[in-house]
Amino acid sequence: MPEQSDKSNPPEKELGLAPDPSPEEEPRIGVYVCNCGGNIGDVVNCKQVAEALRNIPNVVTSHSNMFMCSDPGQKLITDDIKEKGINRVVIGACSIFLHEQTFRQAVERAGLNPYLYYHVGLREQDSWVHYNHPEDATEKAIRLMLAGVAKARKMEPLEPVRLQAEKHALVIGGGVAGLRTALDIARSGLKVTLVEKSHFLGGRVAQWERVFPTGETARTLLQRLLEQVQAEPDITIHTGAKVVKTKGYVGNFQIHIRQQPRGIKADFDAVDQAIAACPVEIPDEFNYGLKTRKAIYQPYSGCYPAGPVVDWEHCTHCEKCLEFSHNHDINLDDTPIEFDINVGAVAVATGFRPYEPFPGEMGYGKFPEVITLPQLERLLAADGPTGGKLEWNGRSVRSLAMIHCVGSRQVDDVHQPQPDGQVNNYCSRVCCTATLNAANIIHERLPETRIYDVYTDIRTYGRGHEDYYTLASKNGVTFLRYFVEDIPEVYPAEKGSYYSMLVKVKDQLTWGEEIELPVDLVVLAVGMMPNPVDDLIGLFNITPGNDRFLLEVHPKLSPVETSVVGIVLAGTAQGPMNIQESCTAAAAAASKVVVLLGRGQVEMEPYVAQIDIERCQGNGDCVRVCPQEDAIKLETFSKNGTSFQRAVVTPANCNGCGVCVSTCSHRAIDVLGWRLDDYEAMVDAITAEIPVLEGVPA
Amino acid sequence: MKSDKIHVDTLVVGGGIAGMQASLDLANQGHQVALVEHSPSIGGMMIGLSKVFPTLDCCSCITTPKMAATAHHENIQLLTYCEVQSVTRNDDGFSVQVIQKPRYVIEDNCTGCRSCELVCPLDLPDVENEFGRTAHRVIYVPFTTAVPQKAIIDIDSCIFCGKCIKACPADCIDFTQTPQTLRVEARTIILATGFKVTPYDAKKEYGAGNLRNVIDAMMMERLLAPTGPYGRVLRPSDGKLPDSIAYVQCAGSRDETLGVPYCSRVCCMYAIKQAMLISGALPMADVTIYYMDIRTFGKGYEQFYQNAKAMGIEFVKGKVGRIVEDEDQNPIVRVELIDDNSRVAENKHDLVVLSVGMLPGYDTQPIYDVATAKDGFVQIPDSNVAPTVTTQEGIFATGTATGPMDIVDSIITAGAVAAEASAYMHLHSGSPAAPAAD
Ligand SMILES: Cc1cc2nc3c(=O)[nH]c(=O)nc-3n(C[C@H](O)[C@H](O)[C@H](O)COP(=O)(O)OP(=O)(O)OC[C@H]3O[C@@H](n4cnc5c(N)ncnc54)[C@H](O)[C@@H]3O)c2cc1C
Ligand SMILES: Cc1cc2nc3c(=O)[nH]c(=O)nc-3n(C[C@H](O)[C@H](O)[C@H](O)COP(=O)(O)OP(=O)(O)OC[C@H]3O[C@@H](n4cnc5c(N)ncnc54)[C@H](O)[C@@H]3O)c2cc1C
Ligand code: SF4
Ligand code: SF4
Repeated sequence: MPEQSDKSNPPEKELGLAPDPSPEEEPRIGVYVCNCGGNIGDVVNCKQVAEALRNIPNVVTSHSNMFMCSDPGQKLITDDIKEKGINRVVIGACSIFLHEQTFRQAVERAGLNPYLYYHVGLREQDSWVHYNHPEDATEKAIRLMLAGVAKARKMEPLEPVRLQAEKHALVIGGGVAGLRTALDIARSGLKVTLVEKSHFLGGRVAQWERVFPTGETARTLLQRLLEQVQAEPDITIHTGAKVVKTKGYVGNFQIHIRQQPRGIKADFDAVDQAIAACPVEIPDEFNYGLKTRKAIYQPYSGCYPAGPVVDWEHCTHCEKCLEFSHNHDINLDDTPIEFDINVGAVAVATGFRPYEPFPGEMGYGKFPEVITLPQLERLLAADGPTGGKLEWNGRSVRSLAMIHCVGSRQVDDVHQPQPDGQVNNYCSRVCCTATLNAANIIHERLPETRIYDVYTDIRTYGRGHEDYYTLASKNGVTFLRYFVEDIPEVYPAEKGSYYSMLVKVKDQLTWGEEIELPVDLVVLAVGMMPNPVDDLIGLFNITPGNDRFLLEVHPKLSPVETSVVGIVLAGTAQGPMNIQESCTAAAAAASKVVVLLGRGQVEMEPYVAQIDIERCQGNGDCVRVCPQEDAIKLETFSKNGTSFQRAVVTPANCNGCGVCVSTCSHRAIDVLGWRLDDYEAMVDAITAEIPVLEGVPA
Repeated sequence: MKSDKIHVDTLVVGGGIAGMQASLDLANQGHQVALVEHSPSIGGMMIGLSKVFPTLDCCSCITTPKMAATAHHENIQLLTYCEVQSVTRNDDGFSVQVIQKPRYVIEDNCTGCRSCELVCPLDLPDVENEFGRTAHRVIYVPFTTAVPQKAIIDIDSCIFCGKCIKACPADCIDFTQTPQTLRVEARTIILATGFKVTPYDAKKEYGAGNLRNVIDAMMMERLLAPTGPYGRVLRPSDGKLPDSIAYVQCAGSRDETLGVPYCSRVCCMYAIKQAMLISGALPMADVTIYYMDIRTFGKGYEQFYQNAKAMGIEFVKGKVGRIVEDEDQNPIVRVELIDDNSRVAENKHDLVVLSVGMLPGYDTQPIYDVATAKDGFVQIPDSNVAPTVTTQEGIFATGTATGPMDIVDSIITAGAVAAEASAYMHLHSGSPAAPAAD
């Protein structure tokens, strides 16, 4: 290795030169204050903060900079480590959630243990909250940084906890998003188990007719995806299955699954007779209640897995179907099975459900002529209740109104809230194009039918979507625009009128004129809501957002990751999306899973409890208060013939919460990286006199 | 020194946010990546933005660490200021000829100390980053957060005075550099060639670029950026702080006459974002947004729009027919107010911002033989199910190369393209298939 630097080979290029400091080594601290492009610097006088820290014991160098996280900012640190022998780094900047990894990597690149860097939050904890008090904010920044330095003096090199990871992922939900995630994970060489709670794969897409923006039938699309999934040997599928219990952490989740039986063998050949024999009739959810089905059913022919199932909830055990069952093809005494799998990561792809209007909302539930967009899709589908004919009360629909934003973009005090007290104030983003797509299909089949499109904004934002809008205009669809304060009213026309329904719109496109639209059918373009997943939220400790959809960590930095490492989101479980967006998000989620598990090893933070065996008296308070399973236990030791108990930590199961630390009356436990001594030193530093500053320009 | 023959799993073309994220996702999976960027720094359009919706994060705070992570990743090789010349298919994938354009500065030796900038006697308008509103020297580091931090000489403007040669402590000035050819062998290619904005001077009705106080939204991003030319929002003609600012939506999109019939998808949101930032910077200023439809469809975006309304930003539904100016160069917007009896109004503002749309950044046909659709962006044959697969086997596309989208969506498609490329390479690696599961 070249020792001295020559110009063609500058020393910056050499990595891993600076050794970790030994515990006795004198701390040499580098202090860096970031302006955060004005986020901090517009309020806090960063220069002054850097100056104030300059002459503190152990501080070797102190800078302020516009963007510490940029490459030049990072270079400042790495150069100081290599050239000035800095062995502790304190950075005052944005939030630790944003850039802890960034700075750790920089410090590590320069050869220092990455845990010898401490991050002081000067943005969320200072400049953003005290933006009206710049001077006080600057003082606070100095105090926070002094505390950081106090902590830095005590920092010690740490190693992440490294654990074996299962090269196997679980996907929950078998809609397009779940299928796509499973496929992409498997195709990169990992095993996948997919659980779908219904007895069939495909999710909502199976219900639609022809999908935008490609114009192909939804079934063809689904078929293509399903064929690929079936051809993939590393995917195991369980339908009728739910996750009921979980344990563990990234790399090693134990998942307990309960699977409902189908009750009918796959090769049963008297399906039609058995279904005909069943006396139970209930609304068919696949057709949104537009027709009924039996307690033996299959949602549509060609579904996967093929063949009917018994609806255990509604089966009355009358045994009429058994008449057609030979060789126990139908088994009404089938029971659920339960089993465990071990996986390294989980993708949640539980999808959405259409907004269900309240009884009477725009006439829904009150007048049969008012239906939702998903119901219209079923009416247009070749295998739907009318065989694809748009008929109502026995005759072709001659005129219809489609109303946008029902159950979306709602405002408080105008719309009725959901049971949780919240209205759906988000845009469901799919309904505009889906509505225009349906309008164009109707025009194609029934060119004489009048179509009114009643909207607030037309949001055909995606690639190829605007064409649907243009085509609808060409097709003679009449557009009317309402304001949310003036929701259209839907009511029946006078008896004997040519059209049975009227829609009253205060139309902003004709200067706020009130217009009555005479129609046969009213279609409510309902929005999306997440499928209820409270059970999974509880089991996995993940969080929903205000809109009830599952929440990502950060839309740009970690757009498909949840706050629980190893649990990712795919598709409409996270928010409204169309098929393309669901598949894209799903593939991105798969990518993250492959990154996590591909090496067969995961790393976790080293912040776990550590017992001082000399001080521990084995009284077991810590074991009693620990909220984690198998994180801390008492073990028996013996010395000179006497045996006694001492607490022992299993680092993999400890999440570093520190509850044990607070209960130990002997101060025998500390959380690594966050020792009680550290806190005391930090508190002392925060409350101490602060250095007086002169001559630093504001 | 860059080796003149490079073997990688994937060649990523374009170092914007999508290209960087795709590179990082693949590299983190253990694949070897080469990233070709034709400008001297990676970062793409995003590095020029101010704060970004929907979180209003400072843009540099998201972009610059990604740039650093990309540059320092052990599995990623950066080829900046490089141009792909030709692509030929071979048994293992592709053989790609790349031209390294001369910086006239020895890249490996330059430390980015900027000593050369201090001595160079000539200033040039910074057109690339600041629309000519600031200047840089003939030898310059592209911008303060550029990656790599390497100087470059604008050789056409250089007078060869040699001052930089004397000043450079690393001896890296070399006026004799010529284009170098590198060969990259890659199993897959990812196109992340991004977008450019629709020209703001295309529309005669909007002054064809001749009205000084009519600017485009990208210029406004620079005025709002902490690294921007003035550090505040001043109007171009007289440097006045504007009191009344108007946005004209769909200026360059949804307009058949410009050949851009599609919606550019980001302009509603960025206009609202800029309006909010202006309201913060100039609390007394009025901001009006003239729109046809407000398309705030993304997660949290509708609330963003509602917040803007609550802040007092005025949204006016109307199609702007024409913009002229008065004798003080104040723009006058002639607009049909749809919400007000379709009355035609002439409203005077201090500054008008055109919410320009997105055009493809690069034509992938000639060199890559990757088909483009009628909108000019990369054609995706099975866009619903395989949103990153192009017409050429082994070549994938991501980010705004595949159509207008915002940063969040670019990052997500980057994750998706990484999954697609990785799966493709796994499938074609010749490794035995894993045993079947039950
Ligand atoms: C009326 C209408 C028309 C549309 N038309 C189009 C169109 O033309 N083009 C387009 O691109 N998009 C369209 N969409 C959007 C499209 O339907 C969605 O993008 C797509 O269905 C999302 O797929 P997903 O996998 O995220 O969710 P889903 O399709 O909802 O699938 C989720 C799956 O997860 C299962 N599941 C739920 N909870 C659990 C659990 N706890 N455990 C196990 N499994 C569970 C469900 O049973 C379901 O099978 C339309 C939407 C609507 C409402
Ligand atoms: C005014 C404005 C404001 C915006 N504000 C926001 C916002 O607040 N929030 C948000 O989410 N989005 C915003 N956006 C959108 C955002 O800029 C884009 O989503 C994002 O930059 C797209 O990234 P990309 O990587 O796809 O493309 P680009 O950023 O365009 O990157 C493409 C890269 O490829 C390079 N390249 C091109 N061709 C070649 C070639 N042949 N060889 C080598 N390299 C090549 C280019 O030099 C460039 O570096 C805004 C857009 C505009 C116009
Ligand atoms: S997509 Fe259209 S109909 Fe649906 S909520 Fe958004 S604006 Fe309303
Ligand atoms: S995003 Fe808004 S401004 Fe941009 S083209 Fe679409 S509708 Fe017009």
